[in-house]
Amino acid sequence: MNENESDALGHNRRDFLKGGSAATLMTMLGGVELFAQTNAAPAGETKAPAVKIKVAVIGLGAWGREIINTLTRMPHADDPIEADIAAVCDTYPAFLKRGGNAAPGAAQTPDYKTILDNKDIKAVVIATPTFQHKEIALAALKAGKHVYCEAPLAGSIEDARDIALAAKAARHLAFQAGLQMRSDKERLFLLPFVRSGALGTSLLARAQWHKKTNWRSTSPNPEREKALNWRLNKETSLGLIGEIGSHQIDQAGWFLKALPTAVTGSGSINFWKDDRDVPDTVQAVFEFPGGVRMIYDATLADSFDSDYEMLYGGDAALMMRVVMGESKAWMFKEVDSPLFGWEVYADKVPFYKDTGIALVAGKSKPQPVDAQGHPIQLDPLTSTPLFCALYNFLRNAAELDAAAEDYRSSYGADDVAGLMDQLGKIVRRPAADYLEGYQAVVTAVKANEAILGNKRVDLKPEWYELS
Amino acid sequence: MKIRTVIAGNVALFLLATMSLPAADQLATFSARSGGKMRIEGTANIIHPTWQIESPTIGGMIQVGPGFPTEPGQTVPLGKVEAKGDVFIPVRSLKSVEEDGKHYSDRMDEVTYEHLKEPLFKKIFYHLTELTLKEAPKSKDAPYVFDAKGDLAICGVTNHTTMVVNILPLADKKLEITGKTAVKMTDYQVKPVDINLVLGHITTGDEVKLIFKWVVGPARVATTESK
Repeated sequence: MNENESDALGHNRRDFLKGGSAATLMTMLGGVELFAQTNAAPAGETKAPAVKIKVAVIGLGAWGREIINTLTRMPHADDPIEADIAAVCDTYPAFLKRGGNAAPGAAQTPDYKTILDNKDIKAVVIATPTFQHKEIALAALKAGKHVYCEAPLAGSIEDARDIALAAKAARHLAFQAGLQMRSDKERLFLLPFVRSGALGTSLLARAQWHKKTNWRSTSPNPEREKALNWRLNKETSLGLIGEIGSHQIDQAGWFLKALPTAVTGSGSINFWKDDRDVPDTVQAVFEFPGGVRMIYDATLADSFDSDYEMLYGGDAALMMRVVMGESKAWMFKEVDSPLFGWEVYADKVPFYKDTGIALVAGKSKPQPVDAQGHPIQLDPLTSTPLFCALYNFLRNAAELDAAAEDYRSSYGADDVAGLMDQLGKIVRRPAADYLEGYQAVVTAVKANEAILGNKRVDLKPEWYELS
Repeated sequence: MKIRTVIAGNVALFLLATMSLPAADQLATFSARSGGKMRIEGTANIIHPTWQIESPTIGGMIQVGPGFPTEPGQTVPLGKVEAKGDVFIPVRSLKSVEEDGKHYSDRMDEVTYEHLKEPLFKKIFYHLTELTLKEAPKSKDAPYVFDAKGDLAICGVTNHTTMVVNILPLADKKLEITGKTAVKMTDYQVKPVDINLVLGHITTGDEVKLIFKWVVGPARVATTESK
């Protein structure tokens, strides 16, 4: 990208460099700096009560319970949204009980249809095994619920397409794919930085997920064992590349503003030689336009260096990773790269032979302060990508409900076309939508196909289109 | 109280009410249609010299008498016309925008709602009391220019206002009503905004401009009054 080229969001390198210079000046003046917006309210203001939204969580495995724990933190501080967990659902009694304990006061049900019948519940979060998403998501949209569907949306392209098309048709509802990185404040802070060409010519992307875990849950009987361990069966799971990798691969494409054109994969069961048929270690190389490749690997047999994502450019490399639930990022500059100015004041961390310049929201200066000079504290519990994603989902849901109510009160209930048109113009908080969720499934399914077949698969552009 | 007395009383009240209203069958009712926009512009301190908020939602209705221009090119004498109306804007539909219309900031939206006491006063109301045609259109595509008198209620405080409004009858029997007026927010007991945003400290001026385009069309459903 040259200096004057803009991307679709209107970012360009020259503007960003100008912004950097202004930021430096303002920093010296004690004013503007580059950090993501906090939810901290100015002191002394009276606040409106938060809008309470009744939400249900369907699927109460470990991730479903993490979702409950995250929802219980809303409203945080002065945020205008309060999650009211009205019901939790799981077909497995032990999970239902544990989920219910995490959400005191929520109705507990093994049947998701009872949730969909409840008119007071406006939104559902689907965190069931992937292959169960389609039935629940379609029924929820049909019942008029806002839907947050965990990623991957489905285990097959066909199922993902059905979900995405239903979501596309339901413009009056918020539908969000659980690619939570797309709502993460840190990533959103970094996106214009990367898109403006600050890293120089895009060269390479790399991501990994390393963890020593058997990915297996114990159970009291063989039937339950199979149901609980659906991720270990390739009939019901896209394996590591789908369940984990789809988030990281989607993120690379998001930052590069491109979809992969081919994938070469391989995988094997090297360590956990039990009855699973899903590889415990996978590698894949994704080809992007312009000769850029993303190298991905994941393993359940070694935990070294955990998980992170890298972007490499001719001027600098960028590392993004979640540390103790909080997103962080560092830039590693080449000696011949242009000086922004603000990095002089930024936190720096030694990384073996390199120095990482902190790009973490709120950390571009040693201690971010507000206009009165008071330190701004970021709360790690409410800065996680999942918190940001769920918050944006509920905020979008509330916004759509309010706009629909206002529209009907202003123009009557008959003008459905006008209502849909107006709701389509509502500015939504950053979140992965149905198309991005669908495209992530296309990539994951084909990457899994490449991994299981030890082969290269061309990714046709038309596969990514919703027809 | 005897039943006959109650009936007689109600009839008397009905007659009194009817006499005080314009003949209902002579009034044409127009109700709000989508396609309008309310824009509020204000000034602020040096970091953000101007600010603006917009709503795409303007509800309400207007009733007009026989002398009101509802067709393009209609000849209407200058002077007072028979008209009354009620207009409202849901406060939460107001969003802060950049000059080019892009959304500005969630935080600014929240501050707007807080200052307008949104949970308590959910709508901004305008009640039209008098409409006077002061200028006929110079061409078929030009609007009729009126002086409008009415009451504007913000945050539960009502003030009498006078403004110029342009009414353009459209080919599809709709009316496009546009206009602008300036008000002082302190007249409505709304304190100027004084807030720190990430991009700097914002202090707003007292006077704001209200700029609107309201589209109305023949009422789809008869109102209670016109039944």
